[in-house]
Amino acid sequence: MRKRAIKGSTYNWTSISNRRAPSTAKVLRTTTLLVLSFVVLAPVTWFVLSSFKDLTDFSARPPMLFPSRWATENYSEAFAMYDYTRYFLNSLFVTVVATVLTLLINSMAAFAFAKYNFRGRDGLFVLTLAMIMIPLQVILIPMYLVVSSLGLVNTYWGMIIPAAATPTGVFVIRQYMLTIPDELLESARMDGAGEFRIYARIVMPLARPALAVVAIFSILWRWNDFLWPLLIAQEERLYTLPVALALLNGQLVVPYNIVLAMSVMSIVPVLFMFIFMQRQIIQGIAHTGIK
Amino acid sequence: MIVRGPNQVVRRRPSKSWRRRITPYLFVAPNLIIFITFIIWPAIRGFYISFFDSMDGSNFTYVGTANYKAIFSDPVVATVAKNTATYVLFYMTISTLLSLAFAIFLNEQRFARNFFRAIIFLPVMLSPVVVGLIWNDVLDRKVGPLNTLLEMAGGGSPGWLVEPTLGMIAVIFVGIWVHLGFYTIILLAGLQGIDRSLFEAAAIDGATRWQITTKITLPLLKPTTLIIIILSTIHGFQSFDFIYTLTGGGPLGATTLIVQYIYDRAFQTPIQYGLGSAAGVILFMIIFSFTALNFLIGRKKDAV
Repeated sequence: MRKRAIKGSTYNWTSISNRRAPSTAKVLRTTTLLVLSFVVLAPVTWFVLSSFKDLTDFSARPPMLFPSRWATENYSEAFAMYDYTRYFLNSLFVTVVATVLTLLINSMAAFAFAKYNFRGRDGLFVLTLAMIMIPLQVILIPMYLVVSSLGLVNTYWGMIIPAAATPTGVFVIRQYMLTIPDELLESARMDGAGEFRIYARIVMPLARPALAVVAIFSILWRWNDFLWPLLIAQEERLYTLPVALALLNGQLVVPYNIVLAMSVMSIVPVLFMFIFMQRQIIQGIAHTGIK
Repeated sequence: MIVRGPNQVVRRRPSKSWRRRITPYLFVAPNLIIFITFIIWPAIRGFYISFFDSMDGSNFTYVGTANYKAIFSDPVVATVAKNTATYVLFYMTISTLLSLAFAIFLNEQRFARNFFRAIIFLPVMLSPVVVGLIWNDVLDRKVGPLNTLLEMAGGGSPGWLVEPTLGMIAVIFVGIWVHLGFYTIILLAGLQGIDRSLFEAAAIDGATRWQITTKITLPLLKPTTLIIIILSTIHGFQSFDFIYTLTGGGPLGATTLIVQYIYDRAFQTPIQYGLGSAAGVILFMIIFSFTALNFLIGRKKDAV
């Protein structure tokens, strides 16, 4: 307790005044947080356990917490009888290509906004930020019609390109690039480096922390994205995981326990990402409010 | 911000100076072309289409303001508007209050603080489609764990996803469950930006915890709280994906919100692109006013 007080924790006074027994407030607070944790974890746990139940266990009343037999065939059938591999690869492809494209074009725009003086710069930057005000939901129909007239419905590019330019990505990378000293660029120019070379070889490596934040969020958005792929991927060969899960769930011919197994597998990559990059994700949100 | 003009540096070779001058435009171009093609142009086109009637996206009949009139007189739309308003109001209010409470709790918490922070944030990471499936499973009337517990406690077995009012309650609850961690993290960052000496000074002067919270913490957290109110309002109006797998807009359309209404106009018969576009224009005006408000407030804080 004393040690914590010296370290200057948030409320030193609570630590000092309650050195002997935990105060009622402390107990209440911890209890509330425990209840909250239960409300978050219990449904997810239930869901994961359900994905191992066979159809007999599913209709059991009262339902059982643990499956009477661990039906791992739910998982193997997702691969064998349904096209889980394809949905997974589609999601992976769209996520990876879209993230690479986002990083490339967002950082290029950010570089221009941060390191050049040009006519219309501030206007274009404000225009870029103003794109936040027009979310997909409000232009759903005209955007679909435009993409459709370009022949991009039922294509991977139709899923990838329209959302690749993100205002928040440009903003986050530009703010970071502003901190890179201009002298570095100047000396490279003296040495005869071209502008693209300066961007690719000097500025990009230095902007790595900002690029990492944008990459993490792009991966998250794209992996979990639903509304846009639902519009574009109308053929089953193009379904990403969320689209496949939502549509298979509506079909009575697909056993529910298989949908559950697929769902559990689809959230595993994100959970791993969260475990290893929790700090960057939480700080990214705390500092920029992006999501 | 001072950026040294490139054309001040090199004037020797005019060809290079010209190339330099167009360089920034080339860097901005790919991003800008996508914005123009897939956001700006559709936005203009959507406004235009909202005055037309079309069932196939290629033949358009001019109908004047009929779509807007329909939106304000159609009983189906009235239900959607009522659902959306109910959802946004409860979602925003409860999210804001709970995230404030949990941010303050987490800020004071010493024991297992990072664990709790991670847990509360976990749902933000999950795919909304899967979240809908999870709660669909948990809230099942007959074999769901919630009703099993309720029955054991003698509370009957409410049809969460079967009765309209309960369906709306379920959708609001799950919406909050998904996003609460997001708002809490932003508020927690706001709390950690407050000068600690203020709390210490107040404590030395004999202020109680309650007084410190209401007289110091909350007033200083006001700007961040305002951002949360605006963000949660915008998110509320945009809600779609978890509802799709949780209730599908039912029972009996009781949880159909505006985004699903727009989606249905394009993909469910009768297809009405014009009507859907008009609904989009109205949604835009609502979201625009709240985002503009956010900009005005968050300007100094670089909050996007």
